[in-house]
Formats: sequence, structure tokens, C-alpha cells
Amino acid sequence: MRFALPQIRHDQAGFEALVYLHGQAKDCSFDSIDVDMSITSWLDADMCAAFGAILYRLSENLNTVKLTNIRANVANILSKNGFLSNYGREKIPDRWGTTIPYQRFDVKDDRYFAGYIENEFMQRSEIPAMSPGLQKKFRESIFEIFSNAVLHSQTEMGIFSCGQFFPKRDRLDFSVADLGIGIRRNVKENAGLDLAPEKAIIWATEEGHTTKRGQIPGGLGLKLLSEFIDLNDGRIQIVSDDGYWKREKGGISTARLSWPFPGTVVSVEINTADMQAYTLTGELSETDIF
Amino acid sequence: MNRKLPLSVFEIVGNPLCVASSDGQQVFERLEAALKEERNVTLSFRNVTTLTSAFLNAAIGQLYGRFSEEKIRSLLNVQDMEQDDMALLKRVVETAKQYFRDPQKFDQAVRETLGGR
Repeated sequence: MRFALPQIRHDQAGFEALVYLHGQAKDCSFDSIDVDMSITSWLDADMCAAFGAILYRLSENLNTVKLTNIRANVANILSKNGFLSNYGREKIPDRWGTTIPYQRFDVKDDRYFAGYIENEFMQRSEIPAMSPGLQKKFRESIFEIFSNAVLHSQTEMGIFSCGQFFPKRDRLDFSVADLGIGIRRNVKENAGLDLAPEKAIIWATEEGHTTKRGQIPGGLGLKLLSEFIDLNDGRIQIVSDDGYWKREKGGISTARLSWPFPGTVVSVEINTADMQAYTLTGELSETDIF
Repeated sequence: MNRKLPLSVFEIVGNPLCVASSDGQQVFERLEAALKEERNVTLSFRNVTTLTSAFLNAAIGQLYGRFSEEKIRSLLNVQDMEQDDMALLKRVVETAKQYFRDPQKFDQAVRETLGGR
């Protein structure tokens, strides 16, 4: 089958286009899937995480996935971040150092993921300085997102991540996608709540709400992430099943997508010009904790 | 005599990035063994640069399913933590106490505040 991919921005319409692709092709097997990118005039690089997850899911059905007619500007960025290496193209050097490479991880790769963030992002001189407090909060947030996928997705097909820095806009986009059971099913199976997909995301992002069962408690990761994004004046989007959830400027909006995403995507947009210290002083003592 | 047992998170994990639940589990196992023996433990976070709630839930939150709050408070101390890391640990501890206190009551409260599909 042939599918024409429109431009993919880091927003609801971008996710709509990707889940539509998956919806059209999900039942194909031993087929040839040509994604025609002649009208893809732009592809926000961090969206490679969700795009790559979908293509990986389609190739699991032994389909042959090809990306054709890729415009030069899109090919350039997707070659720099290593995405097109999965589809037969050479990786090209990232002279300006603004890409955080596209990569697939297994759920047991926590440490490898930590090394990837340190080496490919935190320790690279090309990335303009963020304040030490912001760097720490950003790093923690990224690891919270990855841990969330590891702990909750039950994926056997891995976790996909990709990012992009936009120096002129003081913005950093980063996405993590998994091909797991999704938040709605997780909430239903583990908390016994049969919620609409977007309501399940609302539930999962509130403090103390967890689908964890057993001896290790949970229920903080997405809440911490939301708090940081509010302070940073950034944006967070979550797509899971056919639920879409967005938080920015302290407000939440949700929508129902036309097709489900086969897992969960968490996508953050960080304001890198944020000069807040993000440090607390003298409020807690070591004897107050337990 | 119950001498304080010093434990280093960095030494147990072998890494300044304490982010994985599986690494938190290693810390938990040492703490659990020490608390079972009624040993006073001082857990040092020196040289740890990054912590996540997933790590702390496994390392410390999990203790509240095994031991009473009183016992943990009397036997466990932390040191060498920055203020924001202490604030994160405090939230993990409060969430763990709630989690082990009455998870069913908690779910019921959620049902009452959120409509169904």
C-alpha cells in the first residue's frame, strides 16, 4: 500500500497524521508499505520517536516499509539524527550539534538510556548553556519519562526516543514513545477504572495515582514532570490509545484522536532560556523526611 | 552495641545517575537486610547527581511495605542530599505511606471524582 504523509509538527495535528498512517496500515502483513513523503514539507525531529515506533510496529508484521520522495530539508535532519539509517540511508554529521539522535531501547536499557542522554546531550559543548538548575530538572524529567515507559508500558518492542534543539527559539523538544499496552488499558487492568483514553491520561498525571501494584509504590513521575513544565513555561503532550492530552501554562486540554496510537508517547517542549534556579533553600532537614 | 552502618548509594549503584528502578532495588535489598537486623543505617547520597522517583520508590518507598513508619524513622538516616533531592525523597515517602496505608480507599476516592467512559 502507498501512504502520503503530510507535514508532521510537534502538535495534535502531527499526532493525528501519524495515527492515521498506523490505522491505515496496521492490518497489513507481508505487504509493502510505501510512505510517500513528497508532501512532507516539515517533520519536527522529535516526532521521529512516534513515527519510528509506528514504522517498527508495522515492520513487526513482516511488512517492508519504505520512505520515498523525501524532500532534501527533511532528509537532511532525519539523516543527521540517525532516523534514516533505519531505512537505508547513511547518517550524516550534525555540524551544529542540535540533534539528539533517534534511538530504540529495550526496557532493560535504563543505564544505556542514561548514558545516551549524558553523552548525546548533556555533555555536548554545542548545546547552549542552560542554567545548572534547569539542566538538572530537565535531566530528571527525561529519566522520569523513560522510567514511566519501562515501568508501565509492558512493551516487548522497545522504547523510542528522539530530540531536537532550536537555538533561535530557545526551545528543546524531546519525545519518548513505547509500543506497550497504553494508559487506558493500564488504568483499567490495574486500578479497575474503565475511563475514556483522554480521561485515563488525566488520571495518570495526578499525584498519588498509580497503576503500580505490588511492593514498589509509584504515582509521582508524571506529576513531577507536569510541575516542572509549568514552572518552565514549556509544554507536555501525551498520546496514548486514541487519547490526546496537552498541558501548557498550567492548563490542560484533551481530545480524542481519529485512530489509536499503538502505545504511549510523551513529548515535552522545554524553554531553554529559563533562568530560574530550581533550587530550594533551607526548607527541609534530613531528620524531617521519614 | 548498635553502631551506625554507613551505606553509599553511589557505591551500590556504581553510577552518579540513580534513575533506574532496578538500581533502586539493589539499595532496597541492603536497607531491608539492615533494618531486619535492627541496625541503624546512614544512607549517603554523596556524588549522586540525578535521582528519579522511580529509583527512590524502589530504594526507599518500598520499605514502607515491610517496616513500620516508626521503625524506619528510628533506624534510617540520609545524608549528603541537596535540598531539592530531599524534597523529592520526602514526596516519595509521603506517597509510599499513602500507598501502603489503604490503596483501596484511594481507588474509591478516584472513582468518585472521575466519571466513567
